[in-house]
Amino acid sequence: MKRRWVSLGLSLLGPVSALLISAILGAFVMLAIGKNPLQVYAVMISYNLGQLDSIGSIFYRATPLIFSGLAVAIGFKAGLFNIGVEGQYYLGAFFASWAGVYIKGLPAYIHLPLVILFGIAGGVIWAWLPIYLKVKRGAHEVITTIMMNSIASAVMLYFIHDVFMDQNQGTLGAPRVRMPPIQPTARMPTMLGFLHAIGIDMPNYVAINWFLVLAILAAVAVYYLLWRTPFGYELRAVGQNPQAAEAAGINTKNIQYQAFLLSGAIAGLVGLSDVLTYFGYLDIDFPKGYGFSGIAVALLANNNPFGIILSSLLFGFLERGGLGIQALAGVPREVTTILEGVVILTVVTVTAIIGRRVRAYERHMAALATAAEPPIDTQAPGRGQ
Amino acid sequence: MHPDLILAAGVSSPAIADAVASAIRLTTPLLLTALGAVFTERGGVVNIGLEGMMIFGAFWSAWGAYTYGPLAGLAIGAVAGAIMALVHAIVSVTFRVDQIVSGVAINTLAYGLVRVASQALFHSATTSPSVPSLPRIDVPVLDQIPALQPLMANLSPLIVFAFVLVPVSWWVLNRTVFGLRLRSVGENPLAADTLGINVVLMRYSGVLISGLLAGLAGGYLAVEQTSMYVEGMTAGRGFVALAAMIFGNWTPVGAMFASLLFGLADSLSIRVTIPHVPYQFVNSLPYILTIVVLAGAVGHARAPAADGVPYERSGE
Amino acid sequence: MAETPLLTLTGITKRFPGVVANRDINLAIQRGEIHAIVGENGAGKSTLMRIIAGLYQPDEGQIILDGRRIQMRGPRDAARLGIGMVHQHFMLIPRFTVAENIVLGEEHARGGIFSPREAEARIRELAAQYQFELDPTELVENLSVGAQQRVELLKVLYRGASIIILDEPTAVLVPHEVEELFANLQSLRQAGKTIIFISHKLDEVLEIADRITVLRAGRVIGTVPASQATKEQLAEMMVGRPVLFHLEKPPVKLGGPPIGVLEVRDLTVLGAHRREAVSGVSFVVRQCEILGVAGVEGNGQTELVEGIMGLRPVARGKVILLGRDITGRPPSTIRNSGVAFIPEDRQRQGLVLPMSVWENAMLGYHRATEYRRGVFYDLGRIKDRVRSLIRTYDVRTPDINGRVETLSGGNQQKLILAKEMSSSPTAIVASQPTRGLDVGATEFVWQRLLAARAEGLAILLVSADLEEVLALSDRVIVMYRGQIVTEFVPGTLPATTIGEYMLGIRRDTPAPVGGEKA
Repeated sequence: MKRRWVSLGLSLLGPVSALLISAILGAFVMLAIGKNPLQVYAVMISYNLGQLDSIGSIFYRATPLIFSGLAVAIGFKAGLFNIGVEGQYYLGAFFASWAGVYIKGLPAYIHLPLVILFGIAGGVIWAWLPIYLKVKRGAHEVITTIMMNSIASAVMLYFIHDVFMDQNQGTLGAPRVRMPPIQPTARMPTMLGFLHAIGIDMPNYVAINWFLVLAILAAVAVYYLLWRTPFGYELRAVGQNPQAAEAAGINTKNIQYQAFLLSGAIAGLVGLSDVLTYFGYLDIDFPKGYGFSGIAVALLANNNPFGIILSSLLFGFLERGGLGIQALAGVPREVTTILEGVVILTVVTVTAIIGRRVRAYERHMAALATAAEPPIDTQAPGRGQ
Repeated sequence: MHPDLILAAGVSSPAIADAVASAIRLTTPLLLTALGAVFTERGGVVNIGLEGMMIFGAFWSAWGAYTYGPLAGLAIGAVAGAIMALVHAIVSVTFRVDQIVSGVAINTLAYGLVRVASQALFHSATTSPSVPSLPRIDVPVLDQIPALQPLMANLSPLIVFAFVLVPVSWWVLNRTVFGLRLRSVGENPLAADTLGINVVLMRYSGVLISGLLAGLAGGYLAVEQTSMYVEGMTAGRGFVALAAMIFGNWTPVGAMFASLLFGLADSLSIRVTIPHVPYQFVNSLPYILTIVVLAGAVGHARAPAADGVPYERSGE
Repeated sequence: MAETPLLTLTGITKRFPGVVANRDINLAIQRGEIHAIVGENGAGKSTLMRIIAGLYQPDEGQIILDGRRIQMRGPRDAARLGIGMVHQHFMLIPRFTVAENIVLGEEHARGGIFSPREAEARIRELAAQYQFELDPTELVENLSVGAQQRVELLKVLYRGASIIILDEPTAVLVPHEVEELFANLQSLRQAGKTIIFISHKLDEVLEIADRITVLRAGRVIGTVPASQATKEQLAEMMVGRPVLFHLEKPPVKLGGPPIGVLEVRDLTVLGAHRREAVSGVSFVVRQCEILGVAGVEGNGQTELVEGIMGLRPVARGKVILLGRDITGRPPSTIRNSGVAFIPEDRQRQGLVLPMSVWENAMLGYHRATEYRRGVFYDLGRIKDRVRSLIRTYDVRTPDINGRVETLSGGNQQKLILAKEMSSSPTAIVASQPTRGLDVGATEFVWQRLLAARAEGLAILLVSADLEEVLALSDRVIVMYRGQIVTEFVPGTLPATTIGEYMLGIRRDTPAPVGGEKA
């Protein structure tokens, strides 16, 4: 049991020290633009934690990040880097919006799940080509998904602007480039009623909604899938050693194929919290960048689904804080984008360093535990790699 | 490119030379970046952060050109790209972190840093004021031939530089000790190490060269092509250049031909309208081509044996 | 031998995390001798050689060369002092030419400009000086193993080495190439070079060396002149107890005529670049039988195994298990129908190193319903089963939740045997099952294979270690360029004849029409 605590402590050491280092590096950026970092961090914390609406907003902002982080993590676990979550959720948002606008006459309890399924379908469809080309032709998924992201932007512009643009936006000002409003039967309700019922007096403008619960359920489901089912076992084996997986009779290409489509399916849900709750229509300027944030979220959590919930909350905190420091301390909110990049770099670097130490320690312990054998140096570094 | 496409687009023949000239202009940033990619990957380091280095180079060269003039601006842009490359090298070579992850983080980081810096320096997160360009040059003799005139006259010196860099890169890789050693650490770093070659130093050199050239390519976009910095002006060219390098089989000459192909696609996507095809899809031509090329490049291309593999010295 | 030694090591100790690889080593190498260092795997030979070659720095002790104490911070320092090493796994760059491989790091270029032609001329001259047959313009990837070793030797000679260390140089060579190498070494000694020769093959050591030093468990056990040593004496020094050179291989009594279990009929498998790696191979492995496959590595053995296991598409022919055609079936089907598989590279193909011991213990059998309750794994039941498994197979591990990469090589291989053999197979395909293992683990693996044979299993044993194949097999086939060139019963052919078969000099079957392409 003691080992378990030691290993839990070691697994937290990486993210925590990475966050500290990131905070210090972020401080340098603030110093460079002439701000006092301590003051900025203080503003961020008091703004974020001092108000109920901020806390609600953090949960609302974390919701798409949980989905995105899970999508990226499933890819990583299978040895695939899905940078295409970004484009996949664009398509998911479009598919869901289309179903929300044009499928009519259904009751909410059918319409809303159907719309969510459309979102999933959009993500899966956009994930299909890169993984097909990877499995069939060996085209590296990193570059193809990045290209698919760019193409997704063009496709969205085409659909929203040229095909499905809302022609009845009233006469006030220039018309926005957006689709018609989603029907009420397809909108996801907020959690406000529930929160009020349990005595939390969340202000009405906070868009915290039931996708949050769905996201947490998705995290639990992903955890069980990866660590408690043969499919998850195969997925992780393929990710860590495809050659051994193949030799063990696992169809690695098939697993990668399925894993990537699953990743795309979850990616399809990323944009729905915003579109189906807060906006109620798909605008060409709907929130972007969740796919890239999901990479940082997943890496910070070391691809652990529960860690992803926590790291999503942290990034929600940073984004909300970005608004705060922009308004109250005059610091551009893009500082949080910088922090995102810095977090990725430091967390992977720190984990790499700690990981090497931990493995050396484990080897040491294993060598001691088997000391009954003659000393064997086959595991000593440098032997027959 | 299929001739029907050009015909269907209703491009008249005198305009073709113009289109080619435009293609060559658009090839230049791809070529510079792809040549850089050849150096880093032949040294065994995958650099997916080229896009971020281009962004960084574009912004800082615009600032430099605005403040000190175009030549200094381009130099500053190249150095800025190299600084980002240094981060990549520290993380992926010294700390042996997954090179793709590091590159992705570089892209995010560059994007954020540039926005903040732009706000601080230009009071706009997304654009700079207009900046001066280098004086245009004509290629002597060839600019007198009427058919070649659009290609050979009134050029940015960087265009000429980029194309001259192709044979130079070949020569450096194949006919210098540096090139031999760089390639050796990309093929078998352990073997190189046992022969006393400083693997870390060589890999840093490759990565830094790629950063310099990607920064310069960004500088070309901002200072030479647009005369200002605009957010998003790199438009994924860092990734396209990477694909061009792969399609060019990790060689400078191959990278040049592949870059020309992409440059042509880029120029068509801007200049051509095709009936019944939405312009958004025509604009996506370079991205579509990149995917097609990557899917088709397999079997023909052969990466350096240790490309993307961090080198860990045994016994450490 | 009153001369002062050329190289003296005193009190050398080297530690790695959890292991002392070398402990208080004292060793003297005389000028112009061939000095063999023998010891079993894990005895610390390679570590010691890496210290002499400047790759490792000792934690304690001194190295004295020509009466002067030296300290080396890298292989370059060693090269400057005239020490060069030929590694067991060649340190060559396949896509470079012979000349490029040799001059790399010492290009002698003016102004940093590298001239391939000049380098080639220099290497041609060097090769001629030592009568080595090599074309400096050839790409290394096109060379035979013996030729690659010559490139490695030239690399150290080019750097002016006077002390040459060879780490297990014969492990990858066939008997004929070994003779060539020994001739080369003799001529190098005549040219005044000092040679340190690492091996665990005692016959070879006794043939080539002047003096022999035995290492065991990181210590020097003793140094003896080769002329006075016997194989039995050296073996006892190596292992610390008398060693039997003949394995107990009792004949197995069958109730009736032997049944063919695993049959391969006219099998053709494509290898890299869509070349035929296995061409029309046919054999039957019967119950209670070990069929050995001998041959120089790279003659289609890997592809043969992968073709049988469904890991590589079969171009032509059939694989039949107990009368059932399993050709081209997915690997999982082949395993489930009763073929256990011990892959040649346990770290790459046999295990998922970052996963835990218990997870690895079910690799390949992880879909078994007994591991599950409903759709989810029953972790309690799985771990109980794994615990009893590792007890039976004596896998030493502190914690089955720990990563499998922390286990020693021997324990990793035992774990693979445990999971494969406990799946009640009817046939075993074992590829290089004892590669890199120490004597204890090797013995364990051999005993287990023989026990499986006694239980009636059909075993296909592929090994590059000819001694292993001869010791274990009931019958042996030799593969050369993807074909079976002969079949024999161990003990009926002299080693030199087997070597000729392995090199393709001799063959019982006609050569294919259309000739062979290298």
